[in-house]
Amino acid sequence: MALGIVTKRLGNKLFPALSSTSRLLHSHATSFGFKHVNEEEKARMVGDVFTSVAKNYDTMNDLMSAGLHRLWKERLVSMLNPFPGMKHLDVAGGTGDVAFRILDNINRVKQRGLQDGFNDALEAKTQIYVCDINPNMLNVGKQRAAEKGYGEDGSLVWVEGNAESLSFQDDSMDGYTIAFGIRNVTHIEKVLSEAHRVLKHGGRFLCLELSHVSLPIFKELYDLYSFSVIPRIGEMVAGDRESYQYLVESIRRFPPQEKFASMIADAGFQKVEYENLVGGVVAIHSGIKI
Amino acid sequence: MYRTAAKRLLCSARQFNGNAALRFRRHNALITYSRFSTTEINQPFSNPHSIHDAIPISTTEIENPTLYDSTSSSTSSSSTTDEDSHRFESPKSKTKYEDEHARLLSASLVHVMKLGWTETALMAGAKDVGLSPSIVGSLSRKEAALVEFYMDDCLQRLIDKIDTDGSLKNLTPSDCISKLIRFRLEMQAPYISTWPQALSIQAQPVNVPTSFKQRAMLVDEIWHAAGDNASDLDWYAKRTVLGGIYSTTEIYMLTDGSADFRDTWAFLDARVKDAFDLKKTIQEAQYLAEAVSTGLGNTFEEFVGKVFRR
Repeated sequence: MALGIVTKRLGNKLFPALSSTSRLLHSHATSFGFKHVNEEEKARMVGDVFTSVAKNYDTMNDLMSAGLHRLWKERLVSMLNPFPGMKHLDVAGGTGDVAFRILDNINRVKQRGLQDGFNDALEAKTQIYVCDINPNMLNVGKQRAAEKGYGEDGSLVWVEGNAESLSFQDDSMDGYTIAFGIRNVTHIEKVLSEAHRVLKHGGRFLCLELSHVSLPIFKELYDLYSFSVIPRIGEMVAGDRESYQYLVESIRRFPPQEKFASMIADAGFQKVEYENLVGGVVAIHSGIKI
Repeated sequence: MYRTAAKRLLCSARQFNGNAALRFRRHNALITYSRFSTTEINQPFSNPHSIHDAIPISTTEIENPTLYDSTSSSTSSSSTTDEDSHRFESPKSKTKYEDEHARLLSASLVHVMKLGWTETALMAGAKDVGLSPSIVGSLSRKEAALVEFYMDDCLQRLIDKIDTDGSLKNLTPSDCISKLIRFRLEMQAPYISTWPQALSIQAQPVNVPTSFKQRAMLVDEIWHAAGDNASDLDWYAKRTVLGGIYSTTEIYMLTDGSADFRDTWAFLDARVKDAFDLKKTIQEAQYLAEAVSTGLGNTFEEFVGKVFRR
């Protein structure tokens, strides 16, 4: 314990900026599902999880959510309300689901003949950046994009990077989405403040994430499903029970809707709201940078 | 004085309690509304901030649909209650968002003439103000927000006119009403080519509660200026009739091609005259009915008396 205190004080001296943000998290331990691990460890362990699930990621999503994840992502994109000429950043969007949907939406908007108002904007090129820390996930995404014909005009850019320290400039993005990624990061506050940094004035932050159910009977059913059925499916389909056990536990460890919304507000966002889907199984949090 | 002290208390508490924020805003809107429902004309503003806040607040309060438990992915928005809305903001940042929102909407109005009451106009407005067009995605009922903002703005200008124009007191009620409706409709003249679209947006079921409330406030305001002191069933009748006059004139104006809308004003004067004549007619009919029933009653008594005396 003494060692812990010493390292914390050293940490505070070396990174004074960080010490204020880490007040909400205990100093050097973080959660990996229900286990407690060191912070450095978490990033590596999450990396291992996603390296192993990358190939079956989409199939598993379909199986676990009975295809509902598509509707959730559609809802996320319709809330975003994309427009032609937009610069958008999708973080932890490895296999490209959200990015493809945004491109579809923008092309639909163009076809609807809103060109009159957008003549200046069309000169600005639509750019969707897909950022992921895991190169395997990005490769799967690039393959899918090639198959489906997305991004042939250069509107999709695949970037490998860490959500906690993005390589993009300040005030450069119209929109920022993170779908099912934020519970895997080590420091949520850092991700939120990076999101705040890269967004333009008036830019929108949207987070789609598995969240907490509070309806009485539904909660029990959901827990039963999560802890019994999902790791079993993981074992049978992907041959990896551990990763899916981690997945289910990490959902429980993630802050509930209200707490997460206050964290978003603390990062500087305004008009922070959230919407529960399927009774709280999934929540979409949104905020604006002003 | 007590209200501002309470405001300061609530402001400091708001950081930790999102619900208080909404309660505070409701409180503000209630103050504004109560001003309209009193029977005194030219009552001085009790809270100097309320009317300035009313315009952005009434639009954002009404269009704040933090969908708490939406079990489908459809775009239906549930009605808001204090518990459903969650705003996590400090007082300073809250006013900044409201300000930007109001700036966005007023900048978008300029584009409406070319682009209609659409998202495109909102995005063009956002670009003018220096905001990213993605902020439009956060408005809950996008085009409706713009129309409602405009209606509130027009109502505010009407109220200013009523407060500053002393000559209204000297007019008869029917003349006063005519003049005020004309003044209000003339404000819409620049947007007349796109106004049918605005009306259809207001008529959508999602938007009807707000547009109805705005029209009710408008009609109430005009009756106050015309010197109305009724507080019984007559109050509803008067407002309904005036609402009818206003709406029919508004719609007439849409297809009026005469210079300066001369025909519309003639139509308006005729309708106002009809309404007041109708009122007189109803009164006359009431007297007649009383007289007839008294007369009949006397005749009947005599008749019955004669029958039974036999």
